[in-house]
Amino acid sequence: MSTTHLLIELVLMPLVAFVVGLAMLLMLRKIGARLQRRVGPPLLQPLFDVIKLYSKRTQVSHGLLHEAGIVVAVGAYVAIETLVPVPGMNGIAEKGGLILLSYLMMVPSLGLALGVGQCANPNGSIGLSRAMTAMLAYDIPFMLVVFGVAWQFQTTNLVELVAVQQAGGIATWGIVENPLLAIAGLFGLQAMLGKQPFEIYVAPAEIATGPMVEMGGKFLGGLFVMQSFQFYTAGVLYTTMFLGGGENWFTFLIKIFVVVAIPLSVAFMFPRYRTEDMVRLVWKWPVILALLGLVVAVQ
Amino acid sequence: MNDFPLPVRAERSNPLARVFDELIDFCRARSMFMLHYCTGCGAIELPPAMTSRFDMERLGIQPMVTPRQADILLITGYVSIKTLKRVILTYEQMGSPKYVIGICSCTVNGGMYWQSYATAKKLNEYLPVDVYIAGCMPRPEAVIEGLRKLMGEIKAGRANSWERYFREYDRYLAAQQNLFGPNWQTPTDIIGEARDYQLYGPGTEGRHTELLQQHQVPLQPLRMTLHSDVEKSS
Repeated sequence: MSTTHLLIELVLMPLVAFVVGLAMLLMLRKIGARLQRRVGPPLLQPLFDVIKLYSKRTQVSHGLLHEAGIVVAVGAYVAIETLVPVPGMNGIAEKGGLILLSYLMMVPSLGLALGVGQCANPNGSIGLSRAMTAMLAYDIPFMLVVFGVAWQFQTTNLVELVAVQQAGGIATWGIVENPLLAIAGLFGLQAMLGKQPFEIYVAPAEIATGPMVEMGGKFLGGLFVMQSFQFYTAGVLYTTMFLGGGENWFTFLIKIFVVVAIPLSVAFMFPRYRTEDMVRLVWKWPVILALLGLVVAVQ
Repeated sequence: MNDFPLPVRAERSNPLARVFDELIDFCRARSMFMLHYCTGCGAIELPPAMTSRFDMERLGIQPMVTPRQADILLITGYVSIKTLKRVILTYEQMGSPKYVIGICSCTVNGGMYWQSYATAKKLNEYLPVDVYIAGCMPRPEAVIEGLRKLMGEIKAGRANSWERYFREYDRYLAAQQNLFGPNWQTPTDIIGEARDYQLYGPGTEGRHTELLQQHQVPLQPLRMTLHSDVEKSS
């Protein structure tokens, strides 16, 4: 592959991720509206929000780290997008793999921690400590699932993972070969996206959106962009591991939207758990399922 | 009241820049994050306006929980003197452009609390209010109508009364000092912000800001103490 081709892919992959991610943000709000028997926001609402936030006249910054933290969070996701294969574009996914991705997925939370730390808002600090606790909770089933999938397909390379599943058809998809891991992964996804019942660190009514409490204007805009990347990445990663990636963009988009729609729909039916309840729950059921799945994979 | 008319935004000559300005005004109108400071009974009409019957999210209006994230400060009901202090603190923390909507008669002229010693009568004296929605209480339709009016003003680029707070800070501070006493001080440095964002006007500084600067205590970061430290010192 020529250098120009690779460069185009590296620019295009985050851009596509951003556009699809914005559509997922819209889907989140539409699902919520439909479940509450409302009409919901218009089609371009997430775009309006992001443009408006970036065009605020006064931007309240609390210092250099506040700004750098958001850059780290969004930048880490831009890096992640070049490492996950999508139909027709592999970027540098060959060089990456599941292990690198699972490390990179933690960087946005750490970047956010950096930024929130400087805001010195007690709600932000509480939200942050909860976000880190949540990360501690969901990372254990997540790593077990990643390990199980890698063992099942005998590879950590995402491009190979997709190729193997596509060569064998639906029968070799991760979700058919090892449904236990797929269920544990979906459970982990709910916690990873920070949606109810695991919405402990946003908690608008309790700690005023936690880490986002001091974020206005371009900072909140950056977080909107980050969230759109987060939804997209979660959908693509799950699709790659369990649903055979995408043969073309049509089936690929259907798959990732369905995957993301599941946690978002569940979210609107639950209130919020307390932190310790969430850790107890996430360390128990998805871990048990993932361990059983691991046994199935190893045999 | 209007001693210093606001400078009208000149249309930029570059057609692309004009399109850009219009796009931004459109997006500002179509995405309004609302912080509702529910001080009185008018708050009861907001849930129906937000939920399935009237659904404000259709218009891009959604509630936010902190002043930093919000564009609209919605004050629903009477503002007592104690409440007004909080309202002003909240307003000053919001990022501009910011808009204030006063709902119910109480924000217009004190309403049924006209004779109360503890109620601020006209909200407009302390904060630049964009839209008043009169009524006791206004129905959700009226609330949405008021918000739509604000949307139209923003889209036309006319809703810039938030600049007044920077350009005529002395006048607003005068009313605040009149009510809260001469020692009134907020954590936000309005004059500094006005200078920084080129919003400094002839009315930004005056007699009352001088009084403020005489007694103003510079903000100190909060001292972080562990529980054991507190016990030792006490």
